Amino acid sequence: MFGFTGKILHINLTTGTSKTIPTEKYKRWGGGHGMGSALFWDLCEDKTITDGRDSKNVVCIATSPFSGTNVPSAGGRCEVVGVGVGLYPVSWFTRSNFGGRFSATMKYAGWDAIVISGKAAQPVWLDIRNDSVNIRSAKDIWGKDTKTTQESIWQTVEEETETIDGWQQLPTPKGSGYSTQKPAVLAIGPAGENQVATACLVHDAGNGAGQGGFGAVWGSKNLKAISFYGTGSVEIADPAALVQARFDAKEFYAGDVDNPDASHWGPFGKPAKPVLFCDEPSKKRRTQSCQGCINGCRGRYDIGYGNEVSCQETSWYSSFAQKWVKGDKQKASAIIMRSGELCNRLGINTYPLGEGLHWLEHLYHEGLLGPDKAISSSLDWEKIGSPEFAEQFLQAIATGNDIGKDLIDGWVQAAYKWGREEDHKTGKLQFPYWGMPEHGYDPRAELEWGFETIMCDRDMNSHCFNWIFWQANISILFGQRPFLAADKLAEIVTSKLAPYVDSPAALDYSTPNMYSDDVMQLTRWHIHYSRFWKNSTLLCDFRWADLFNTHTPDSHGATGSEKAGEHVFWNAVTGDTMSLADGLEIGKQIWALDNAIWTLQGRHRDVVKFADYIYDQPFTKGELLPFFFWPCRDEKGEWHYQDVMRRSLDRDKFEDWKSRFYTLEGCDPETGWPTRTSLAAMDLAFVADELEKNQRIGKEG
Amino acid sequence: MSGKAGSTINRRTFLKALGAAGIAASAGGAILLPGNLLVMPHSEGFLVVDMGKCMGCGTCMTTCSLTHHGKASLSLSRIQIEQNSFANWPDDITMSICRQCKDAPCVSACPVNANHVDSENGMVRRIDPDRCIGCMQCIAACPYLPKRLQWDPVQRKVQKCDLCVDTPYLKEKGGPGNTQACVKVCPVGAIAFIDKMPDQKSPHGYEVNLRGKGWEKTGGSREDLHSKS
Repeated sequence: MFGFTGKILHINLTTGTSKTIPTEKYKRWGGGHGMGSALFWDLCEDKTITDGRDSKNVVCIATSPFSGTNVPSAGGRCEVVGVGVGLYPVSWFTRSNFGGRFSATMKYAGWDAIVISGKAAQPVWLDIRNDSVNIRSAKDIWGKDTKTTQESIWQTVEEETETIDGWQQLPTPKGSGYSTQKPAVLAIGPAGENQVATACLVHDAGNGAGQGGFGAVWGSKNLKAISFYGTGSVEIADPAALVQARFDAKEFYAGDVDNPDASHWGPFGKPAKPVLFCDEPSKKRRTQSCQGCINGCRGRYDIGYGNEVSCQETSWYSSFAQKWVKGDKQKASAIIMRSGELCNRLGINTYPLGEGLHWLEHLYHEGLLGPDKAISSSLDWEKIGSPEFAEQFLQAIATGNDIGKDLIDGWVQAAYKWGREEDHKTGKLQFPYWGMPEHGYDPRAELEWGFETIMCDRDMNSHCFNWIFWQANISILFGQRPFLAADKLAEIVTSKLAPYVDSPAALDYSTPNMYSDDVMQLTRWHIHYSRFWKNSTLLCDFRWADLFNTHTPDSHGATGSEKAGEHVFWNAVTGDTMSLADGLEIGKQIWALDNAIWTLQGRHRDVVKFADYIYDQPFTKGELLPFFFWPCRDEKGEWHYQDVMRRSLDRDKFEDWKSRFYTLEGCDPETGWPTRTSLAAMDLAFVADELEKNQRIGKEG
Repeated sequence: MSGKAGSTINRRTFLKALGAAGIAASAGGAILLPGNLLVMPHSEGFLVVDMGKCMGCGTCMTTCSLTHHGKASLSLSRIQIEQNSFANWPDDITMSICRQCKDAPCVSACPVNANHVDSENGMVRRIDPDRCIGCMQCIAACPYLPKRLQWDPVQRKVQKCDLCVDTPYLKEKGGPGNTQACVKVCPVGAIAFIDKMPDQKSPHGYEVNLRGKGWEKTGGSREDLHSKS
């Protein structure tokens, strides 16, 4: 069984038992999300639950055949699925994803996935060393932050493992195995222990499964941490082809850190460099990456803080800190990096904090929030932007005290609790979909981001097309002509989207084309691509898909290429003969299975809608830039980069868009529920049986 | 002994002369002098690393195990990258490579000449798996921690870096003067192959600065890690 270990570990925390499930039945899903959804389907006895803190919830942490290999920007990614916490109006079956080396180590220990069900009577952590599985008391680490927890577990395992000549010796079924590595630990911090909706899972210094509230799920199960330690290998079908494809990926598509090209376009070809929304805190650093990455995106520094803090972790407090230090970039950087690190230690998802804190600041200035105000808070709001305020604020969130008390169940839920539902409807609280914050790419401008998110379960956070926003708008910001003309870019990108898209018009986000079949097909491609290639085979979202890449003579990226395309790596690892499109078909099946779960949870197409302000108000204030240029055609059919702000979505047209979308996905357009015919065609008749039993099967068209 | 700094006769010439005189028995590329003194020619290739530049992606490790064994593994890798996510740069990562030692104690310790100097492949110190009896004496002889030779628990043999001489899953020719998979695959150029023996006395002889001017453009420091040592 190339690429897979052949075993899945199922832990029942209620009974304190473990058992092994053969992977064979779940291979069809590829791994990661698909495998997790299928395991959830089989093992969650009540799929109607809508709060992940319900003890009936089942959470699955899954690897893929790529995990533990050298497949570029894939070897260390890991997927988490289960019913989430803090979504609105209900918490759907959802997903999250994180990097590092956890999934690789799980594979080396001999496991393709771990499934957690039930609830432990007391706090526990799971100690898995190759075939050895132990459920251990967590009383000594409960209450600790994620760093202290991991270091404590490292020390425990090291003390219990014989070290010979600098190598740790672990038992295996075939004798002893050896490793120089540390165990890979995934843990919750105080936020997870307190079952805060925005609690996440953290691995090493800066890998977080943030969105979806899985930290709260673990906390509800009294699960503090999972540690894997392994000395095994991943069997590869065609090792020579895999090695050659990895060489080719570097030679033809990747960025060269020793010869960085500032004008380069495309995700795969970016040179290794920390991605920060502040100045680097020190030049004495390395660019650090997840296992198997082609070009890392984080740093480790010589200054005693900020390791692996990047991207959103540096964004949420950035504007506040910049204002507080009055433009001193180095002082701001220190505040931002320390605040990001504190989030990781406390186990808090940083995504809601930026939008959320702007909203709370507004309530404070309106006289609605503060000491002795309608929304009581004794935090020092006059010091917002300072390191002291960040500490107070994050501790309150993590412990559920002060302002954190009302935020435990979610930010939109707090708005309704405080009688501030108007803020959600008008966009003062910019949480446009499923109780989650706007990501910087407003649904009224970046269409696929919003459409996908609302047709799934959470902020999509899938950047395949979003790189266009960054590349084009940064060029325009600096007064430069975009490196790739709009027509050329549309042609290159859409040429990769077969069999869904057959026209460059799919990338035309102009207002007349917003609800077109072409844009819909691009959206469907992206959902199916993400469901399989990103979330199941676990290619990193930040590097894949590589649709355009100006390192190549024709500016075509690695995606779908015969040198270093997704399918090239899949086939080399597994021995299959899959095409890129074959993977999309599995992605379609995964979405169908997910939609069946959402249907059992109570979803009807009527709840699939954005917050009111997305329809009622034009998009006028960009989170990141004051404009939002995107490739568009004009009335003459000529391509330009055009600012797509100052527009809103049309309810009726979007409702019609949904009907057509559901029809194409094999669902009843009246309800959004899957039909038996479509499920049966995907070899999912057993799903149709369950839906029918619950009287939630879609009508045939 | 020839080969030391300041010698007027190079080591290879010396060994050739010994061989011509017929006064030594050959053990691979090494020469066994009377009194069980094993003299070995220098390897014609070495790996050097920049511990300040490495990303910690471990791709060198999995590619090493893939090219040699056809499996993705850290435990079977002949280069070992260890890291502590919470430690300060540059001490958060150590890169442990086989040094292809001048007088390789692992070669000397092998009782069956499985671990030998390969005269057909640039004098690289390598283990013939068909001759290895799994006694592990070579591991014990390695003076470095972690030991730069690995025990393969499945094959029950010892392995070590051969500069990619024996790589059945590498499509191009490996070995000194040819491809080293770890060098070729490293995304940031933190591993290099050189043909001049690094300083054997310095604790940092194999630790070099591979950060060029381009590195500065991405915001990093080019400062030598051991400039004060």
